[in-house]
Amino acid sequence: MSNARGRREAHGEMGRRMSRRRLLELGLLSAAAPSVLLRPRHAAAQIGGAQPTAPTPAGELKNPVEFKAPKVKASSPTTISFWQYVGFHVDVQKFIAEEYKRRFDPNLSLEITAYPGLNEQRVGVKSALAAQSPTPDIIAVEPGAYAVDVSASGSVLDFTKVFAEDPDYKKGFWPNALELLTINGSIVSVPAVTNTVIVYYNRALFRQHGLEVPNTLDELKKVGATLNAKGVMPIAYPAGQDRNFPIFPYYTYVGGIKADKLMREADLGLKPWTSPELVAGAEFVEMMAKSGLYAKGPLGVKEPDAIQIFATGRSAMFWGGQWMRRSIRAALPPGFDMGLFPFPAVVAGGHKPVLSSVGITLTVNARSKHPDLAFEMIKAITGAWGKIEYTRNLGLSPNGPISAEAIAYQMQSLKDPLYPEFLKLQPTGTTRVIFTPVVEEAMTQGMQALITGQKTPKAVMESVEAASQKAGARKFKVG
Amino acid sequence: MRANPVRHRWQRHAVGYAFAGPALLILAAFLLYPIGYSLWLSLHEWDGYTPRWGPFVGIENYRALAADEVFWRAMLNSIIFVVVRTPLEVGLGFLLALLLNRRLVARSLLRTLFFVPVVMSLIVVTIIFQRVYEPNTGLLNTVLNAVGLGAWAHPWLGDPATALPAVIAVSVWKNVGFSLVILLAGLQGLPQDVLEAARVDGANAWHLTLKVITPLMRPILALTALLSIIGGLKVFDLVFIMTRGGPTYSTEVLATMLYREAFELNHMGVASAIGVILVAVVLSIARVQTFVLRESREGEAA
Repeated sequence: MSNARGRREAHGEMGRRMSRRRLLELGLLSAAAPSVLLRPRHAAAQIGGAQPTAPTPAGELKNPVEFKAPKVKASSPTTISFWQYVGFHVDVQKFIAEEYKRRFDPNLSLEITAYPGLNEQRVGVKSALAAQSPTPDIIAVEPGAYAVDVSASGSVLDFTKVFAEDPDYKKGFWPNALELLTINGSIVSVPAVTNTVIVYYNRALFRQHGLEVPNTLDELKKVGATLNAKGVMPIAYPAGQDRNFPIFPYYTYVGGIKADKLMREADLGLKPWTSPELVAGAEFVEMMAKSGLYAKGPLGVKEPDAIQIFATGRSAMFWGGQWMRRSIRAALPPGFDMGLFPFPAVVAGGHKPVLSSVGITLTVNARSKHPDLAFEMIKAITGAWGKIEYTRNLGLSPNGPISAEAIAYQMQSLKDPLYPEFLKLQPTGTTRVIFTPVVEEAMTQGMQALITGQKTPKAVMESVEAASQKAGARKFKVG
Repeated sequence: MRANPVRHRWQRHAVGYAFAGPALLILAAFLLYPIGYSLWLSLHEWDGYTPRWGPFVGIENYRALAADEVFWRAMLNSIIFVVVRTPLEVGLGFLLALLLNRRLVARSLLRTLFFVPVVMSLIVVTIIFQRVYEPNTGLLNTVLNAVGLGAWAHPWLGDPATALPAVIAVSVWKNVGFSLVILLAGLQGLPQDVLEAARVDGANAWHLTLKVITPLMRPILALTALLSIIGGLKVFDLVFIMTRGGPTYSTEVLATMLYREAFELNHMGVASAIGVILVAVVLSIARVQTFVLRESREGEAA
């Protein structure tokens, strides 16, 4: 990380620059935070929880959490390998690994291989595991089918021992995030971050056309009609980006009617996909496709296209993920006034659904020659100190509760007014994960058929149910 | 004492085998063994994570494919891909080669320009064409709107009806230069005395092309077509990057289905069965083509 030294120097200056009163305020806030934060949430599929409101940062702040020393160190120069699939995470992962090396274990280096995408990384990992290779030591896996695949095949180590030895480390994660990664009773992977899917909007365009942020679906439709009449596309929706995007509207509706638990059960083959609630989700997808709310041909629109449409003011809204925030901001012209809001309530009196998930998660190859060192490195990246640095660099939401002081520290360098808004929306999240590969495939194809008007909602859900039944009894349990 | 004929034959060919040996070994290790291994895997169930394949299932994977409508869709799309792409690629390549075989101003420049797409990175090409086809701001729809043909503007890659033709068009654009170069080399190697004799006999340009050049070019046209057919049958990267086989399997071809089954659905046995079928189809076509070519040569010789 190019400015690592600058930051270290800044940390050293912090104590001298902050007033005692300021430190006291921050300390009180952070002390109050855990009682709110660590309250367990048992709503099946939600990810994340409430974060405290950070005070306006004053002076140079530093990461308020101690970077804990590892229990195991390398006895000789050792390099552990890490294969991941999100290029923009590499810098911060390297930064944390270098800090770890500098402070605690000069013998240990982390070699990161960033594949261009999830598919490529998954193919590489699969080949390595089939060949019984000890490389990579650390594997990034996506929650859902990928995590199930690597754990059910016995290819990765679970975190039982690590958590037993360090209960505080486990407490640092949102319980619901870990629940998503608990396969057959074992936590097989830990999240580096959490994230949300929301609606970005062009505040200036909204003001220009006298529009308010919609709270209900009807209001959203009215906003869309006004924008269409003015020649502005309402929502840029990159449904052609990958196989997950076409399902987003479905997840949104299901979350909006609080049927996400039902969806999980259907995913695991315990309930039918043809129940009225889940068919209603497909009807919502069809309605949205026909509503004129999307920019033309969403299945032909990729993420960069959608960002360009939004950044050039051709659309007033962009339905996308928190992880795209950097790309969006990079594409926006100076002075672009961007806001965000959760998708409006999909049913009268319902809540506003925010899709939420853990992003990249980390686990250890069962054949790694250095499993203890790999776990220590994962703890450094995802632990109390690491998570603050990680999300401070990327603007993604942390994998667990952090203090107000930590948020203030993050805000100081992040300088992103949307970051606290993302944190506020996180606890309202509803999951967007499917665990059974053939079901996910049937959902992707089915949603595409709805968007292109090729099938009816009922027919689509029947085909998903057929795929689910064909998968038979699942050999895994989740949570 | 008479020499042993078998030993004599072996000695005669020993040098040849010695030279070909390393290449044959590489061929066996990296082509024949994987094909055999795929055949073996296609008779087993395997998720691809464990070091050893799963239980033997006989022809069950093939049976499953035969009952899978996505497989037949992928097969049909592969055939459409070949049937549409090959005539366009070879036909356009031949027309361009005929044009560039004449004494034209900037002939070298034109030849280079037509060949540029061939050497361009496929990733770059697909990204460019994704942008060209983008329904809202893409070049194609923008041009159509600008020239008053806005009614034709379309979500080219987002509509199952147009996605496959759109991908085939990119494939033709990318590969026509390759056909052009091969065919141009063929044209330049034609016996000039035959062409001259035809001209002396009063053949006009049309007759010369149709009755003299085209028959003489038949072996090279067949070779170009064969390469195009095989390339079309095993197309993967272009489709995968542009559409991932969608929407709704409208651009799914055998190779993208193979990938999906292997790496997304963990059905390595089924994926191997698709691979075996693909190899069988490609080999059959190559065999038929070679046979037709030989017959045509022998016909000409007679």
